[in-house]
Amino acid sequence: MFFHIVLERNMQLHPRHFGRNLRENLVSKLMKDVEGTCSGRHGFVVAITGIENIGKGLIRDGTGFVTFPVKYQCVVFRPFKGEILEAVVTMVNKMGFFAEAGPVQIFVSNHLIPDDMEFQIGDMPNYTTSDGSVKIQKDSEVRLKIIGTRVDATEIFCIGTIKDDFLGVINDPSAG
Amino acid sequence: MSVEPFNRLVKLAARAFYDDITTKGDNQPKTGRSDNRGIAVVVLDALTRRQWVKEEDLAKALKLHSKQLRRTLRFFEEEKLVTRDHRRETAKGAKIFSAAVAATVDGQPTTKEGEEKIKLHTHSYCCLDYAQIYDVVRYRLHRMKKKLKDELDNKNTVQEYICPNCGKRYTALDALRLVSMDDEYFHCESCNGELVAESDKLASQEGGDGDDNARRRRREKLKDMLQKMEVQLKPLIDQLSRVKDLPVPEFGTLQAWEVRASAAGRAANGDSSNDPSRSSHGLGYGGTTLPFVGDTKVEVDFSGAEGKGENIKSENESSSLKVLPPWMIKEGMNLTKEQRGEVKQESRMDDSSPAVEFSDDKKSTVENDDKKNIQDEYVKAYYAALIKKQQELDEAAKKQDELSNTHALNGISGMTSNRQVGMKSKRDEDDGDDDVEWEEAPVAGNANENYKVDLNVQVDASGEDEDDIDWEEG
Repeated sequence: MFFHIVLERNMQLHPRHFGRNLRENLVSKLMKDVEGTCSGRHGFVVAITGIENIGKGLIRDGTGFVTFPVKYQCVVFRPFKGEILEAVVTMVNKMGFFAEAGPVQIFVSNHLIPDDMEFQIGDMPNYTTSDGSVKIQKDSEVRLKIIGTRVDATEIFCIGTIKDDFLGVINDPSAG
Repeated sequence: MSVEPFNRLVKLAARAFYDDITTKGDNQPKTGRSDNRGIAVVVLDALTRRQWVKEEDLAKALKLHSKQLRRTLRFFEEEKLVTRDHRRETAKGAKIFSAAVAATVDGQPTTKEGEEKIKLHTHSYCCLDYAQIYDVVRYRLHRMKKKLKDELDNKNTVQEYICPNCGKRYTALDALRLVSMDDEYFHCESCNGELVAESDKLASQEGGDGDDNARRRRREKLKDMLQKMEVQLKPLIDQLSRVKDLPVPEFGTLQAWEVRASAAGRAANGDSSNDPSRSSHGLGYGGTTLPFVGDTKVEVDFSGAEGKGENIKSENESSSLKVLPPWMIKEGMNLTKEQRGEVKQESRMDDSSPAVEFSDDKKSTVENDDKKNIQDEYVKAYYAALIKKQQELDEAAKKQDELSNTHALNGISGMTSNRQVGMKSKRDEDDGDDDVEWEEAPVAGNANENYKVDLNVQVDASGEDEDDIDWEEG
């Protein structure tokens, strides 16, 4: 699920950036630092949408670096248990398959794949129904439901299922 | 209202879950001779017929080697069915126990007193823990059902993987770390062994090698299993629901049980003739754990302070462990074991109420009612005893005039039996435990001389009361 929230961060700026476009430098550094990171609490920071407020800078003793407290608005993505996501399959193996929904990795184990789909080994390993009409392989797009999340300080990993109504392949690359 | 439904529960559980438990290590070959499956059931059954029992005695009774029994018991201790207690004791300690056994368990092979040596030995005792058994069995059933159900509609289960080499377990949440680039399997982090999905093991043991129809078959099998479980465990589940609202028989710790059992045994067996004063003195020590002692044993128990200290300690640990007040059982001397256990429990409940009141000076109406009954009974008995005594006291009064207060008490003790004095002081101690206005009732209804005597004893009692308070706070 996506959220638009305000976060705060203390930015350290090198003295060489001081000058007339100090602000721009600060913001671009913030974007470089923050976008794409993941915090267990808020999820993945997808994009910074705006700066709320930049506080007074504090010059550090000895280094000349200046610390600015920056409040910024950003879009974060945090997966939740029970959430339905669309994801791209990245790897298929005997134990199940891995998929990615943006920055999130999701594992679907083979017992959470419908019983009528069976693993086919080959140079393009895949799960296929007995009539061959549905196939899950690398780069397939699947809709899945998250049934468990593991949230570490800097990492979120999910396990999902496609064993439910309206879940499964939504766009087969080989068909299209 | 007895231990019987619980015993039935234990027996059912034993047959359901521990029927083919063997205490032998898996590496030993199971020949026909060394196969000791079923021992567990036998041991549990034997324990249902006992309360606390010394393991040696149990081994002897079951004709088992004590090592074998100990292994089984350790297993049950781990399974939380049995509580055990070990202590180093001399012959004397063992005698306390055997006396307690003799008092409670009738038709039970008791330890012969001669057996005990003076040496210090570590003796182990064991006892069923019914409250815990109830919980354990319920939990076990719950887990069984949950596991099967989860697997059946395996929607929200997190797949678990297990390393066959080192036994380490992983969940699907670890999958990212476990996947290897070389092949399509998961590999153990520590030993690099190939992981197997855990649920596959459960149902596809019989050769269903993974892929094709295995899952479908597994599903059917699980369904079947769930049904079978429900049918086969029905008696156990029924028994659980039957037992649900019954008070759980509780034997307490070994020490508490011994004290209680021996006190109850003495009260029930009647160590002396049933003189009418007996009833009143029986009432006397309702609130305390002081074991009531017969005529001859007075000195022994009072000097043996360590026994007393033990009691107090055990009571501090759990306030519910109190001596069974004999008024509950004095009428039926030949009560069955279960009844006595039951009575014990009730009495303990009753005991706790005055103790609570005593500590925080509050009275709930319910407790009051209960107490009224007890008090009424008590007062009746007390009057009867007083009338009897009045004659004796009349004589005693003459001497009393000459003697000081304390001496007067001794004088009486000299004239009447030791036991009566003990009884009297204890009764008044009980007065102290109960409320004050009631205490005055017998005083008002009696002659002056009695009043005097009461006063003396009250002084005595109040001293004891303070003692009580002291160690309750400490």
